[in-house]
Amino acid sequence: MLAFVAILNLIPPKIIGYVIDEIAFKELTLQSLIKWIVVIAVVAIVMYILRYYWRLMIFGSSNYLAKTLREKLFRHFTKMSPSFYQKHRVGDLMAHATNDVSAVQQTAGSGVLTLFDSITTGGFVIIAMAFTIDWRLTLIALIPMPIMAVTTNCYGKLLHERFHQAQASFSNLNDKTQESISGIKVIKTFGQQEEDIEDFTKLSNDVVDQNMKVARIDSLFDPTISLIIGISFLLSLGFGAKFIYEESMTIGDLVAFNTYLGLLVWPMLAFGMLFNIMERGSASYNRIEQLLSIPVDIDDKDSALDILPEGDIYFHVKEFKFPDGSKAALKNVHFELKRGETLGIAGKTGSGKTAILKLLLREFEGYVGEIKFGDHKIDDYKKLCLREAIGYVPQDHFLFSSSVYTNIAFANPTAAYEDVEYAAKLAYIHEDILRFANGYKTIVGERGVSLSGGQKQRISIARALMMKPELLILDDSLSAVDAKTEEAILKSLKTARANATTIITSHRLSAIEHANLIIVLQEGEVVEKGTHEELMKLKGWYYETYQLQQLENLVEKGGELNE
Amino acid sequence: MNKQPTFSNKEQRKIIIRLLIYIKPYKKEVSIALFLLFLTVIGDVLGPYIIKVFLDDHLAINHFELKSILFLAISYLIIQLLNVIFSYFQLVKFQEIALKIIQQLRIDVFKKIHQLGMRYFDDTPAGTIVSRATNDTEAIKELFISVLSSFVQAAFLIIGVYVAMFLLNPMLAIFALVLLPLIFLVIHFYRKHSSVVYMTMREKLSLLNAKLAETLSGMGIVQTFRQEQRFNDEFDEINNEHFISMMDNTKLNSILLRPVIDLIYFTAVVIILFYFGITSFKTAIEVGVIFVFITYISRFFEPINQVMERLALYQQAVVAASRVFKLLDETEIEPKQMDVTDDIQSGLIEFKNVTFSYDGKTDVLKNISFTVNPGETVALVGHTGSGKSSIINLLMRFYEFEQGEILIDGKSIKSYSKNVLRKKIGLVLQDPFLFYGTIKTNIALFNTDLTDKDIQAAAQFVQADEFIEQLPNKYEQKVTERGSTFSSGQKQLIAFARTIATNPKVLVLDEATASIDTETEVAIQQSLEKMRKGRTTIAIAHRLSTIQDADQILVLHLGEIVERGTHQELLAQKGLYHKMYLLQNGIVE
Repeated sequence: MLAFVAILNLIPPKIIGYVIDEIAFKELTLQSLIKWIVVIAVVAIVMYILRYYWRLMIFGSSNYLAKTLREKLFRHFTKMSPSFYQKHRVGDLMAHATNDVSAVQQTAGSGVLTLFDSITTGGFVIIAMAFTIDWRLTLIALIPMPIMAVTTNCYGKLLHERFHQAQASFSNLNDKTQESISGIKVIKTFGQQEEDIEDFTKLSNDVVDQNMKVARIDSLFDPTISLIIGISFLLSLGFGAKFIYEESMTIGDLVAFNTYLGLLVWPMLAFGMLFNIMERGSASYNRIEQLLSIPVDIDDKDSALDILPEGDIYFHVKEFKFPDGSKAALKNVHFELKRGETLGIAGKTGSGKTAILKLLLREFEGYVGEIKFGDHKIDDYKKLCLREAIGYVPQDHFLFSSSVYTNIAFANPTAAYEDVEYAAKLAYIHEDILRFANGYKTIVGERGVSLSGGQKQRISIARALMMKPELLILDDSLSAVDAKTEEAILKSLKTARANATTIITSHRLSAIEHANLIIVLQEGEVVEKGTHEELMKLKGWYYETYQLQQLENLVEKGGELNE
Repeated sequence: MNKQPTFSNKEQRKIIIRLLIYIKPYKKEVSIALFLLFLTVIGDVLGPYIIKVFLDDHLAINHFELKSILFLAISYLIIQLLNVIFSYFQLVKFQEIALKIIQQLRIDVFKKIHQLGMRYFDDTPAGTIVSRATNDTEAIKELFISVLSSFVQAAFLIIGVYVAMFLLNPMLAIFALVLLPLIFLVIHFYRKHSSVVYMTMREKLSLLNAKLAETLSGMGIVQTFRQEQRFNDEFDEINNEHFISMMDNTKLNSILLRPVIDLIYFTAVVIILFYFGITSFKTAIEVGVIFVFITYISRFFEPINQVMERLALYQQAVVAASRVFKLLDETEIEPKQMDVTDDIQSGLIEFKNVTFSYDGKTDVLKNISFTVNPGETVALVGHTGSGKSSIINLLMRFYEFEQGEILIDGKSIKSYSKNVLRKKIGLVLQDPFLFYGTIKTNIALFNTDLTDKDIQAAAQFVQADEFIEQLPNKYEQKVTERGSTFSSGQKQLIAFARTIATNPKVLVLDEATASIDTETEVAIQQSLEKMRKGRTTIAIAHRLSTIQDADQILVLHLGEIVERGTHQELLAQKGLYHKMYLLQNGIVE
């Protein structure tokens, strides 16, 4: 189709040539004039339609390519395990899915378009010039063209370099602004606004200078090209005149020839720009491919069990290291938990509390030891089954930008209202929700109303309770809730989940003091183990921390001793 | 933030006019550029005319006189050369103007940033402010460089071509005038529809990106709750909507951009041929005139094509400009000072019944009153959210307060000039902020009055010179982003030196909570003691051990002073302070 358009493109100049000849030789009749004009009109309309379609086809397929790439990336992202997200920052992943995809899209659209366009149009124009008019004249007219190719290529290289410098000075300016805003208090304190503005002005001067350097080269392109085209015109006219004089050509031919020459300008220009677009596109495409080729690291076994795990939990881990860590995150951690019991895990930040949970959730593998849930090892179950049995409330209570209702009914979007309300009541958030402007329909999350940390935590708990999980894990998820509410939530959990297992990690020991078993971790090892009473008797870390937290509580309340 | 605003025509015009005002200071440059553009247009018009003369006067009538042909050829070449030179300088000039305008806009934005109050920075993420000053202004640059200059160029060329056509053949030129409304109609039509289609596309894209970003950050939740399939489906839906809007955009572009302009071009060719064909039946026609008309017409359409292709940039620039202007119009500015020349002599500080609220709803300071005598030290202690930092924020004039009074040397703090306050009150922040540069520039900041000796003296005074002297480049040692190569204690010492170099009368300390190695800890304690000597000091203490010698300790709780006295007095009270003291020393009763 493109080739067809390119050929059609050649007809009007030719006709112009014929008409001019006929006028010059006074042979033009009304009939022939109308004939020619109708031909041009038809050609123009056909070209319009064809162009519309091939633009639609090329840009359409590049749009489609972008869509498919985004889809693929998204699918891939949802399959990747947490260790992938430790290695790749969200911002970088976003950049791949946005900038790189659009660079590929541009290459596939404008890039391919210009490539075909310039090759076909350029090729056919030259062929038409050489075969239908005069091959000698074609050669002569094309003499300056290589000069154009060489010079524009040269400019391109210079431009590339200077453009990089301009980018660098722009990013300096960006950094400067960033720094000034981060250090705004210091600048205000020392009254250095004026000087800082001066410094900014200096940097922005540099941006102007560097960009002027780019502009000086950039502005060379058009004039150079028009100069060379001009010379080409002059050459073709001069020699054309000679050929006309020798009567091997007509004046109409010459006009047609010159019109063809005009058609060549665009393909020449496009060709120069093309390499740049192609280069960017292929670099981006490679980055996307690389990302997509990262294998899924934790997958189901071939003979994975399609049953929901239930029963006691056996946790025996000799050693576990995070993929990027050199130090063992867990060492000789052993505990067993009967169905329906509660385990409390205490310890400082980084002591390994979360590591235990991550292993239970099978977010990480590669430990020495055995973890069993019910009758089977956790990696014998299908991942989806294991996760269905575990309700997890993470430390960083992440809510999605949607209604409270959909956030709580996250695992089952079609859940009945009563169930959602029941879960909310268990998590002691129901009353709060009713106080929101739109009740359960209130939009929360990044783009919704801002909730307090405690409210977010309680919604996260309700979300996990909606699943009625066999095992509920609260990963320090009561930290922002006040002591009274904490107690109430723990109590309601106990009654509502009488036969289900619960694991709670907490900085605040009051959250775990009622547990059937408490383990205290220190640098990945269990240092104290027992019930609250047993640990208090030990007078070790647990005892001291418990006392200090009581005191801290008093300080927070303003120090009144009499309750 | 994710939503793309749509603008009515009136709003768009307002924004554009406001942008155009920025051209004003460059009247001279603009007229030079326009003059150069004018010359290039003349060149563009003359070139084909010379060819016409050649065709008609020589070629068509077989009149080959070497001298006049040579004359034509040489003048054609000269015109081409001049044209090239003029157009080069004109292009450069236009870019220069655009760059300078954008620079001015940037400086205005940056100046405005410095006038804004802390409240603005509390509410707006730093990244957003940065992109106002850089990325958004960059988008506006495209408007000036690509859109406006190609627009002006197109307008000039169209006028030039029409003038030439009128001179050659008024009748045909009138015919050709029919094209203008046609072109404007297409442009208008395109602009009208594209702005809608383009905006929808941008909106869908930002929805798509928001969904992606949110899912990526909440991936853990999605996976533990087994909602991958649902999220895939939801993403596909948005992705598909975006695809459809992209296709709409592509369709619109395919109908109305280059293809339609080409169609109009052929219409013009048809008109020309038809006109000359008809007239040729009655009178002889010069072939050259046909040639020149066809050349003009094809020249004429190139800039129009360019303008059309750049209209999308125009939309982006309008959006960016609206954001920039919103920042420039921001009313949340820093507290005003009266410009009285009074100086702070002794450093007597009084808070009288100060009540303050950040959001106008909950008071974070309630009826705070205290006095700090010249040269004395007052320590503020309390739990997070007790109001310690708010007291400092008010004293530093980061925020404006309405109720109560803060007096320095008996006069309202609002009556001193900004300069006096900044010179006489020195603040050391909890998180010492280091700038990109060297140790020296970090101590002196932009203060050029400070000599190397002053800087060294300041560093010696706070005992920072010991570690500085051990650095390979000493005071010239590079400080990279945020001073990440230094320990927090070292950073703190540099910040001390910075404050002491200005020799303030009043010292405000927000004590560092970060763990500091014992070696620098000693140095910090000693230099703090030295710094406080002879200066009125207000210190926030996180570690009670550092303020035991304070003349007065204020214990804050929920915005109120609940206890006050010296260390010993407060311990004896066995109240809140006593408990905090026990807690910090890890003593279990």
